[in-house]
This record gives sequence, C-alpha cells and structure tokens, in this order.
Amino acid sequence: MNTLERLWDRLPEWTRSIRFRYTLLYSAVLFGLAAVVLAAIYLILLMALRATPVSSGRGTFCMHGDCITVITFREAERLVNSEILGKLRYYSLGALGVLFVSSLGVGWVVAGRVLAPVGRITSVARDIQATDMSRRIQLPGPEDELKQLADTFDAMLARLDAAFDAQRQFVADASHELRNPLAIIRTNVDVALADPDASPDDLRQAIAVVKRAGDRMTLLVDDLLALARRQEPTLEHEPVDLGAAVAEASDDFMVPAETRDIVLDRAIAPGVAVTGDREALKRVVANLLDNAVRLAPAGSRIRLATGSEGNRAWIAVADEGPGISPDDQAHVFDRFWRADKARARADGGTGLGLAIVRQIVEGHGGEVRLHSKVGVGSSFVVWLPITRPAIDGGQR
Amino acid sequence: MRVLVVEDEADLADAVARGLRREGYAVDVAYDGDEALDKAAVNAYDLVCLDLNLPGIDGIEVVRRIRANGDAEPPRVLMLTARDRTADRVIGLDEGADDYLVKPFDFDELKARVRALLRRDAGRSGALLQVGDIELDSARHEARRVGQPLALTPKEFALLHYFMSRAGQVLSQEDLLEHVWDEHADPFTNTVRVTVMTLRRKLADAGERQPIETVVGRGYRLREEP
Repeated sequence: MNTLERLWDRLPEWTRSIRFRYTLLYSAVLFGLAAVVLAAIYLILLMALRATPVSSGRGTFCMHGDCITVITFREAERLVNSEILGKLRYYSLGALGVLFVSSLGVGWVVAGRVLAPVGRITSVARDIQATDMSRRIQLPGPEDELKQLADTFDAMLARLDAAFDAQRQFVADASHELRNPLAIIRTNVDVALADPDASPDDLRQAIAVVKRAGDRMTLLVDDLLALARRQEPTLEHEPVDLGAAVAEASDDFMVPAETRDIVLDRAIAPGVAVTGDREALKRVVANLLDNAVRLAPAGSRIRLATGSEGNRAWIAVADEGPGISPDDQAHVFDRFWRADKARARADGGTGLGLAIVRQIVEGHGGEVRLHSKVGVGSSFVVWLPITRPAIDGGQR
Repeated sequence: MRVLVVEDEADLADAVARGLRREGYAVDVAYDGDEALDKAAVNAYDLVCLDLNLPGIDGIEVVRRIRANGDAEPPRVLMLTARDRTADRVIGLDEGADDYLVKPFDFDELKARVRALLRRDAGRSGALLQVGDIELDSARHEARRVGQPLALTPKEFALLHYFMSRAGQVLSQEDLLEHVWDEHADPFTNTVRVTVMTLRRKLADAGERQPIETVVGRGYRLREEP
C-alpha cells in the first residue's frame, strides 16, 4: 500500500486527473471488448475448421525429372484453412493495436468534452475566492447532472452573497452608529482641553456631554452584542413558563411607567409553556415595553397580555402612543431604523430594540406582528409555538 | 470668515461651533437639512461643515442645492461623515463637496482643513498671509506688524484675516458683518465700526501708516502697499 502510494505520488500531475483515468478506463473497456470478440471469432473458426499446416509430402510424383509433391484434396483444404486462420490472427492483432491507440485518443477527447463544465465551475469557484461573491457560473446547456451541480452552486453563492451583504451592512451600520457618539466625545474633549480659560462650568458641561455619549455607546454596544450573539445558534432550549417570564420582565417597567404617569395593565394567562431561552424571551418583552414606555404620552395606558390559541402562545403589548404610519411599518424591525431620528436618539433608543425582538422570536420559530394606526396607538403581538398546555415540571 | 455647521447631533454641533468660534470664525449652527438651506439662503457663508447623514433632507441634497444656488462665491463645503465607505465619500465629493473628514476626527485636523479650504479663496497655499508689513499666521493664530506681535481679540483677528484675504478690495460694513460676525450679531449696533476702530488703533500703534483706510460712503480697504 505504502509503496503504491509512493508510486502514485511520483506520477506526473496530469496522470492524476479524472480525465486521464477516464481515458484509461474507456480505452481498456473498448480494447477488452474488441479483444474478446476477436478471440471468440478466432476460436470458433479454429474449432469449426480443420486446419493443418503443410505436412511432409505424402508422396512424390516425378515425370521427366520434375517432381511435385502430391497431397490429397482434403489435405489441401486444411492447408488453406490454416493459412486463413494465420492471416486472421495477424490482422486481428494489428487491428487491436490500432484500436488501442485510437481509443486512447478518442477517450482523451471525449473525457475532455464531458469534463469541460467541471473546469468552468472550478475556475469560477477559484475566482470567487480571489475577487467577489457576485459572480455566478451560469452554465449553459441542457438540464443535466453538471448543470444541476452548477445551478446548485449558484444558488449557494446567492445565499452566501446575501449573508455576507447583510453582515457587511451590519458592520457598516454598527460602525456608523458608534462613530457618532465617539465623535461627540472626542470633539468635546478636544475643544475643552484646547481652551486654556475654560471655566469649571464649561468643563462640567463638557463632561456631562461626554457622559451622555458614553451612556449611549454602552447601550448600543450591549444591544449590538445581543444581536451578534443571537446570530449564533446558541439559544437555550428549555421549557419556559411564559407567564412567569413576562411578569418578571415587566416588573422592571412598573416604576418607569409610573414616573411617566403611564398605567401598565397586565393580563397574564398562567400555565402557558414554550420551549426556548428564558432570558431571550424576557428581553423581547423588555424591548417592547421599553419602546412603549418611552414613546407613549403621559397619562396613557399600556396593556401587556399573554395567552394561547391552539398550539401557539402569544404576548401582546399595546400602547396609546403616536402610532406608526403604514409606510414606516415595513421598516420598524430594521436595524437602526427610527421613526424620528433626532428625537429617538435624544430619548436614548439605540434603534436596535425591535430588530432584536424579531431575531429572538424568529429564533424560537415564532413571528412578531405589528398593528398600528397613527394617532391611536400601536400593538405588537408575538406568536410562539407552544410545547405543552401546562407546566408539569418534567423535562423532556 | 463665516462658517455654518450642519449636524443633527446637537452635542457635536455645539462643540464644533464652540471650537471654531474660538478660532475667530463667525459660526452658525443648523441641526437639520431644512434649517441649513434656510440659513444658507439668507447668509453668505464662506464654509459649510456638513454632516452627510441628516434627518429630513440629507447632506448630499444640501450640497447639491447649495451648489445649484449659483452664488458668485459659493461656500466651501467640508463633509463630516460617519460612513467610511469610499462610495459615500465619492458621491459627496462628486456632488460638490470640497473635502471630507471621517468621524470621529481630531479637532486640530478639522481646524487645519477649515483653514486650508478658506485659503483656496485667496489662491494661496500656506497658512501665512502677508500684506505689506502685516503678517498673519492663521494656524498659529498670530498677527505681526513689522515683526512686532499684535495683541488682537479673536474678533479683531478674524476681521484682520478677512481684510488680508481681500486686500485692496473695498469692503462694506455689511460685507464685514456678513463674513466676520455670526447670526447673533445685531446689525443695528455699530459693532463693526467699533471693532474696525480698535483694530486700526492696534495696527497704528505697531507701525507708521494706517493700513486700513476709510472709503467714504462705501466702507474700508486694506492697502496692499504700505
């Protein structure tokens, strides 16, 4: 085995190609079949005909000093047969030789033609490593196996391209969002430091601005990390009592709601269980409530409810806030999308809350829906697949 | 020199404005594209520091409309952008911005670029200006007459800078108010006359002849030859 491998390694590069092996196989099969056919014909003739080469003369007949060998008619026939078989053997071997050489040539050409699309696929794949993901193989020709392979490859490239684009966009968005608070910090520090007669009040103001920008970055980094982590399939899979998780998450918002003079109504149905990541689901509720509490007008009411319907559980958060216009509804779950950029930034929103909500909910095999009317309010409904109607404490 | 800072992040806009004011520029601030276009329509700015990513009308559109105004002396535009992709900068430059700076930037660099852009008006290449026996170094913020340093306030310095970048031209009080004072200056006070007076006195103390002459009924002129 070892020596065989070493021998294999010593062969020139081109002998390791499929084309070479295909050629050899083609040639061997053709040669073998031809050899079998010719051998069979020869053997059949050999058995059917009695052939004897010229034997010693049976008798000699001499007249006027000239002698001829005398054989019987049957002997003559056998002699001819023997000659024919000899010729057949000779030409057959010659034909086999020619066939062998020409089959190698034909095999090489045919294999080259069949394998040409593979070469094309390979060269495109190699280019893509070096350049960009926007190229496709787009193999022409009939719907055969290689075309299917190329089309599958193209589809995979399209998916990868989209994924890379999304990732690039995410990094661009994230860096954009981080650069603004960084610019605020840097410029305020630069300007404050460059002023030799800055008063303590000026400095205090600069520090307050820096703190504000720092707080914003902290929130942003937290949310970005949450989003990035959820992109990995690391969501926990455990039974979660949805009612308890929602109640726990909403507890944190009782005080902020109260200080803004907002009533937070809770109607939580007990005994609804889903499978998933408890902390992530709490974050969903927290992000929805955070938006509602920040944007709803003072004196309004926010309703939080959970329940189940068939084999799905739901969480709903409804506010009496400004509402979202139909045009904007398609964008609310986009990263860094804000209804009113200037205002939302000042409010401390990162523009990532709803993107995180959607990602977590979809990671749980659920979906999130928005119903909103400008001037009336918005309600977000999260649907999640249910595991069992009641918690029994057991683990599956 | 009069500068408009357009930036939706108020904390950044105010800091840039504060820093540039200390350099002697007359600085106005706009927090969105509409406000920027309103102010650019009313005031003759020498330079606009423009954030590309604005709510409402975005920065590219602001550049386009400022350029479309067809002013005789359109303002220089310095883009500030948080996007570092080449494509974004190319669009901005193609639409008529003169320079760009990626956030976060060093404030010294911003000042240097502002100086460089404003120098282009006067067709000079260095930070050093010289008219007759007066020298002005806009980078070091120093002015001298006959080699002797002048103790100027930022406003006087800005005024002298403006005179020197337009040496030999007659500049009316309105011109000066427009380019050296910001929008908070009250056009009905004699702040321009008073500042010109104090500047002339300081120049007279350092040299022999008064380089800034009054052109009766029209304004003032900085003599090119002393």
